[in-house]
Amino acid sequence: MSLRSDNHQWGSVAKFFHWIVALGILGNGVWGLLMTGMSPSMSKINIYALHKSIGLTVLGLFALRLAWRLYDGAPPDEPMPRWQRNMAHATHALLYLFILAMPLSGWLFNSLHGYPLQWFKLFNLPPLAAKNDALSHLAGEVHEWLFYLLLVVLAGHAGAALKHHFFDRDNVLRRMLPFARVRQSKATSGDLP
Amino acid sequence: MNIRIPSLVLLALAMPCIASAADYSVQSGSTLGFTSSFQGSSFDGHFNKWNATVSYDPAKLATSKFDVTVDLASAKTGDNDRDSALPGPDFFNAAKYPQAHFVTTAFHQQGSQVVADGMLTLRGVTKPVSLNVVFKPQGGGATLDVTGTVKRLDFGVGGGQYADTSVIGPDVKVTAHLVLGAK
Repeated sequence: MSLRSDNHQWGSVAKFFHWIVALGILGNGVWGLLMTGMSPSMSKINIYALHKSIGLTVLGLFALRLAWRLYDGAPPDEPMPRWQRNMAHATHALLYLFILAMPLSGWLFNSLHGYPLQWFKLFNLPPLAAKNDALSHLAGEVHEWLFYLLLVVLAGHAGAALKHHFFDRDNVLRRMLPFARVRQSKATSGDLP
Repeated sequence: MNIRIPSLVLLALAMPCIASAADYSVQSGSTLGFTSSFQGSSFDGHFNKWNATVSYDPAKLATSKFDVTVDLASAKTGDNDRDSALPGPDFFNAAKYPQAHFVTTAFHQQGSQVVADGMLTLRGVTKPVSLNVVFKPQGGGATLDVTGTVKRLDFGVGGGQYADTSVIGPDVKVTAHLVLGAK
């Protein structure tokens, strides 16, 4: 498995970014939904701080991922009907938007609430907006609802990948799995070098 | 030689004033603030209710005195969560210790800087605290600016689970600006 993507599968760098961002977004989203019910305590402060640090890390990883994607390119699409291909690309674009919007909306929410923003106690980041109590509640709602919407799009993305894997038995999922070997390609146009 | 006699008379008349420093009343426009840090970012607060009696003369430090009482529940920092937590049992515990009290024990000169040494009673603990004093006479009154640092954990403010100074800074800088009128 090479670092770069080739004509058959994603490279290990692209795979790393894909799965680490998936884990970060999902884990941090669930973490965020669970933490809001806590009563005020030092643990709550630390748990919120960790949520923010992880969110910022996802944002940083996503920026690197985008840069790598631009440099590395992508393997050609697996053979499939045109509508599926279009849906897949639209879903990817939406997911990218949500991955970007999740941490940014959290950062904005934090700024409007007037809280400091620290990355793992190492350094502070500036607020995106001035403190505004009226808007901060709304920003919190938006931050939460963006996650629910992301889950809907993610369900489509993951569901389609599983459908291709188990029903179409093609390489759509395999070529992104960390340790899987791609199936011997069928002699279909677009799938050969 | 004959001019000496009136001078002595004047001096004698002035004696009662020389014995003690001047008393001032604290006027509106006076503020008592503090600065600390949370998650690497500093925040300012102030007390809305406090009282000070000030007797001060830079030339008569031995008889100068500050006596300050602060209503701890009147602390405001511009953040609802923080302002509701501050009077609570983990921080000031204002229900049990409604007031903080600072009284000077002595003044000393450190180079050109006047330092007021005193005892601060906060949350049931009494410990020495020193304040830097800048006194500027203005007309019949004066302005008095004092700054000092209070180590919050010395007094158990935010002890227990909140003692982690990597989250809540250990030092609280206290800053007071007093507008003084002659009494």
